[in-house]
Amino acid sequence: MNAATDTRLLLLGWNFRTGAVSVRDRIAFSGDEVREALERIRGRGLMSEGVIVATCHRSEIYGVTEESEAGRELTRLISEWRGVDFAEAAQSSFSLEGPEAVRHLFRVAAGLDSMALGESEVLGQIRSALRLARETGTTRAVLHRLFESAVAAGKRARTETEIARHPLSVASIGFELATKVFGEMADQTVLVLGAGETGSLFTQQAAEAGVRDIRIANRSPERAADLARKVGGGTVAWETLEDALPAADLVVGATASPSAVVGRDAVERAMRARRGKPMFFLDLAVPRNVDPSVAEIYNVYAYGMDELEGAAEENRRRRMREVPRVEAILEEELSRFVSWYGNLAVVPTLNDLQRRLAELRDAELERLPPEERDRFRQFADSIAAKLLHQPMRRLKSEPDASRRLDRVEAVRHLFDLDR
Amino acid sequence: MASHALGWLALFCYIGAELLAVVTLVAPRPAWPRLTTLAIAAGLALQFADLMHRARALGSVPYRTLGGSVSLFGWLLGIAYLVLLVRHRERAMGAFLIPMIVVATAAGLFLPEASSSGAAAPGTHGSVFALHVTLAMLAYAAFTFSFVLSILYLIQDRQIRQRSTGLLFSRLPALEVIGRMNRTSVTIGLAALVVSLVLGAVWAEVVWTSLADPKVEWAVVTLVVYGFLLWMDRRGWEGPRVAVLSILGFGVVLFSYTIVNLYFSRVHSFR
Repeated sequence: MNAATDTRLLLLGWNFRTGAVSVRDRIAFSGDEVREALERIRGRGLMSEGVIVATCHRSEIYGVTEESEAGRELTRLISEWRGVDFAEAAQSSFSLEGPEAVRHLFRVAAGLDSMALGESEVLGQIRSALRLARETGTTRAVLHRLFESAVAAGKRARTETEIARHPLSVASIGFELATKVFGEMADQTVLVLGAGETGSLFTQQAAEAGVRDIRIANRSPERAADLARKVGGGTVAWETLEDALPAADLVVGATASPSAVVGRDAVERAMRARRGKPMFFLDLAVPRNVDPSVAEIYNVYAYGMDELEGAAEENRRRRMREVPRVEAILEEELSRFVSWYGNLAVVPTLNDLQRRLAELRDAELERLPPEERDRFRQFADSIAAKLLHQPMRRLKSEPDASRRLDRVEAVRHLFDLDR
Repeated sequence: MASHALGWLALFCYIGAELLAVVTLVAPRPAWPRLTTLAIAAGLALQFADLMHRARALGSVPYRTLGGSVSLFGWLLGIAYLVLLVRHRERAMGAFLIPMIVVATAAGLFLPEASSSGAAAPGTHGSVFALHVTLAMLAYAAFTFSFVLSILYLIQDRQIRQRSTGLLFSRLPALEVIGRMNRTSVTIGLAALVVSLVLGAVWAEVVWTSLADPKVEWAVVTLVVYGFLLWMDRRGWEGPRVAVLSILGFGVVLFSYTIVNLYFSRVHSFR
């Protein structure tokens, strides 16, 4: 896949599928290190463009290069810098070129290459990879377009298929079920029992989902207050837990208590005080914090871990079934990108430009009386040829391939050749 | 059967709206919900013209023929749907509610048109009578939607209880929203029925000087059932119980609209 004959799209990466964890961890880049890596790569003159996608499980370097040994040299540079044996680094890496590299990036963007199939976080990571590279000055026409296309492909995959629709974690499934009971969760009151790891995670998730009224009850009030402060929520004294129930729409059990802390009687009283308004119990604790028999009370919904595990598994299968549809979308986006990239070669662009000028010429000639058209056609052609002569010569003779791509892209953009 | 070109066009608009609503449900696109609403609005305008045509032929609101009555019912379903849409902005319900409009409008085009007794009953003119009939039909339309919404409520409730988070689960709105729409429907139905009863009484006092008719008795039963529903909705029955009550209420409505009209009522009949 060469736009101008001597440039190649290259991908060199270490991710959770290919590399040994020890190698991968040593290579992994932080945000600042991504900048440094890009600068080092540019300093060596290995690539004319470069973007690094760095997440917990992957370090992938995308580049446009004219060097035939770029992949090998890049591995050497990274291994020396990160203090990893070259052979080890090379063995743990994978490398793709041209459309295969593009396809890989699109799959990453769509979440097909993630551990949690279809997860959406990676889309943000791809966006920030592009931003970092742009700030470092290592992107130009090709990688800019490639990464924008990847983000667009990832978005399409998520809106046009169900690859990201069904939540995979038990807490998210519980939250989704609660949303289908109450509608807008932002206006509901969420009471979280327990300020440990599970409680904290859920509290943060609820706050991110826009819940405004979060109350935390914990045996040690200090921890409850700490967590409440983080999310702008309130606290409930452990001793007054029962009094706090009627106000709570969603109650989340996340304490390590060996026995239930919310009994059936308390929920029956709460429901009377609520005049039958629904209540939702999401019990993330093992053993359960909420007496499971509360589910028998009218308008009470109650779920424990074991009940939601099955739904999580079913959702994983649902996402799997969407993979072929996502792949079809990615192939469409891929062929669009490849055709754009192919057009970046000088000759097709000049052909397109001449065709465009001929269209304009013909449209203008239409307005003339037929007998005058021949004369004016010659006149127009002569002006067009003279006007284009110098720019064409310069485009063809530009020695720097990457600069040539930029200029071709500029011509295509200015004359609207990709419409 | 008289020619009802406008009625047919309206039917096509409603069918188009339903197709759009279903497609939107399966694979949402931003522009389609608006097109659905436009198709409904166009259908309503066309059907209104068709109803006016029928009314002119009969010399009164088209209530006396089964065809005219059902067509009017379809039109009022459309109006009720638009009211629900404007009030709750919940477009996902279109796919489930619009079929009611389609069925009623289609039935209105196929059911018998000619009135068996020929001329209109004495006094069945004027705005009081027209409003009485129209509001009674509007009440039935609102109760029909309440019935459909209640079934959807029970389906969604069951899906939540069984943790089946499939396509229908994700496309149907939250229970709270369906419940709220149901409340609006019942409120519209009750208000329309009360006003219709009062207007009917005023008109009957003038024309028949008597109110005794099985249809009136069943209308009062309907009123009691739905009034009880709204009352209990605020007193702890919000949820599946209200949905079940609404389904029972619709049984009464159906009985009143069909059996009572056809076999019991002397003055409220398709004759």
